[in-house]
Amino acid sequence: MATVEARKDHPLVDTTEPNLLEDVFDYDLPPKIRFDGPLVEYIDGQPVEFDPNSAKTRDIFITDTTFRDGQQARPPYTVDQMVHLYDLLAKLGGPNGVIRQTEFFLYTKNDRETLDRCRELGHEFPECTGWIRAVKGDFRLVKEAGLKETGMLTSSSDYHIFNKLKFKSRQECMDSYCEVVDAAFEAGVRPRCHLEDVTRADWDGFVMPFVDRLMRMSEQVPEDQSVKIRICDTMGFGVHYPGVELPRSVPKMIYKLNQECGVPSDRLEWHGHNDFHRVHANGATAWLYGCDALNGTLFGFGERCGNPPVEGAIIEYISLKEDLCGIQTELITEIANYMRSIDFPIPDNYPLVGKHFNTTRAGIHAGGLRNDERIYNIFDTTKLLNRPPRVALTDKSGADGVAHWVNEFFGLKGSDRISKIKVHKVARWVMDQYEKEGRMTAISDEELEAKVQELMPAYWEKYKESPVHA
Amino acid sequence: MASVQDRVIEVTARVLQLDTADIKPEQNFSADLGAESVQSIELVAMFEEEFGIEMDEDAALAVTTVGSAAEFIEGVCKEQGVEV
Repeated sequence: MATVEARKDHPLVDTTEPNLLEDVFDYDLPPKIRFDGPLVEYIDGQPVEFDPNSAKTRDIFITDTTFRDGQQARPPYTVDQMVHLYDLLAKLGGPNGVIRQTEFFLYTKNDRETLDRCRELGHEFPECTGWIRAVKGDFRLVKEAGLKETGMLTSSSDYHIFNKLKFKSRQECMDSYCEVVDAAFEAGVRPRCHLEDVTRADWDGFVMPFVDRLMRMSEQVPEDQSVKIRICDTMGFGVHYPGVELPRSVPKMIYKLNQECGVPSDRLEWHGHNDFHRVHANGATAWLYGCDALNGTLFGFGERCGNPPVEGAIIEYISLKEDLCGIQTELITEIANYMRSIDFPIPDNYPLVGKHFNTTRAGIHAGGLRNDERIYNIFDTTKLLNRPPRVALTDKSGADGVAHWVNEFFGLKGSDRISKIKVHKVARWVMDQYEKEGRMTAISDEELEAKVQELMPAYWEKYKESPVHA
Repeated sequence: MASVQDRVIEVTARVLQLDTADIKPEQNFSADLGAESVQSIELVAMFEEEFGIEMDEDAALAVTTVGSAAEFIEGVCKEQGVEV
């Protein structure tokens, strides 16, 4: 509730020149994220401060599970498809390894062939790691594959411990997991313990005692074999905003593991699911509170409602770091196009890669686009994603929309651009489609191209050699 | 030769499908004569064709009445050396 004490006067700061806030909204980059104070979370009744600016200087990074969690929700990729996607991921993440690791199943001949062919490409990043159940027998597969690190399922909630895995007690469960961790150490492999269903687990009763034991075990091995912890929000129960209780609070989970259990930030990884639409926010929050790795899949495709989208994490990374950091953002579009070519469904309105993610339909918005592209485009999507802003024509588009479409079609810039007066015949045809013909659908690019040729023949003749097709 | 205003009224009647007798100089194209967004564009295009001139898009679309359109067009014709 507003209080009288909080009320302040806010005098107008008049100006005749626009303030476009370009220090934050630099059109050549995704908009920067700036912090103006600490994050405060009350933990066990005490305020604890976190410095979000640490994310700008820490080595935060992305890990990928497209070929594991991402593959659990769809028909399997072929080996060729996975090798090609791995190659594209390497190029996307750039030479600094922003996409640091990826993980593979190890159970079938195809799994092994995929891993071998990916490694043959010779990319330093993403590093190939494995994924196994916490069973000693599975660990043989890791050794045979010659991997330095593997994820292993160490489910943490009583739903899993008792009802799924049928352990008789938490002690029996913990001992079983730690046996496999010991086996990993003996083989010189770094275990990455996946705390599955941790957002529905008893933190005081199992999670933290288990992690404490893993940290004690890690003291006996070289640092590069020390246990990593993947925080698995298996059912999407995690909540990113402050003040939430465990086991759902993302800030509290990171703090407890990082500070109370002593897991270093570079050995913490967040893995989420999108059942409650929180998947990207939860992942980015994990970075801010001291978890260095954010695990995701391409276009968020994974079990049930999916995982943190890798391309979303990439853009968030650039926004936090305020720099491209060697990331090749145009690969996001190339990967999406490749996925579509192998029948991977991407909704038209999906952020950053959907067919219409930067398409405007309203005429009033198209008018804004014509005056200054920045008005209705999130950043320079032409430069960063090879995706110029588009206008889709409907009954709401008006002559502004038609003019924008025609100019984009002919690739016209600056003073060469055709005014909306000159496209009036095409604009009339578009309007009549809806008002006279009763059309209910958007007008396709192919139809518009035919109409421009028919109704603007002089312009067609002049510019037909340079039409630009999205 | 018909006056500029008469020609503006003729074009307006054709585009908006009205009777010329119903169009008066003081009338607003959209508020009084019902011109919609696309029709406003068509009016400017037809005026350009009728008079053989090129008009600045923003300036032309800022003109609101029949009479002021005639004045505006006269001015443009003079600038562009078109006899009216």
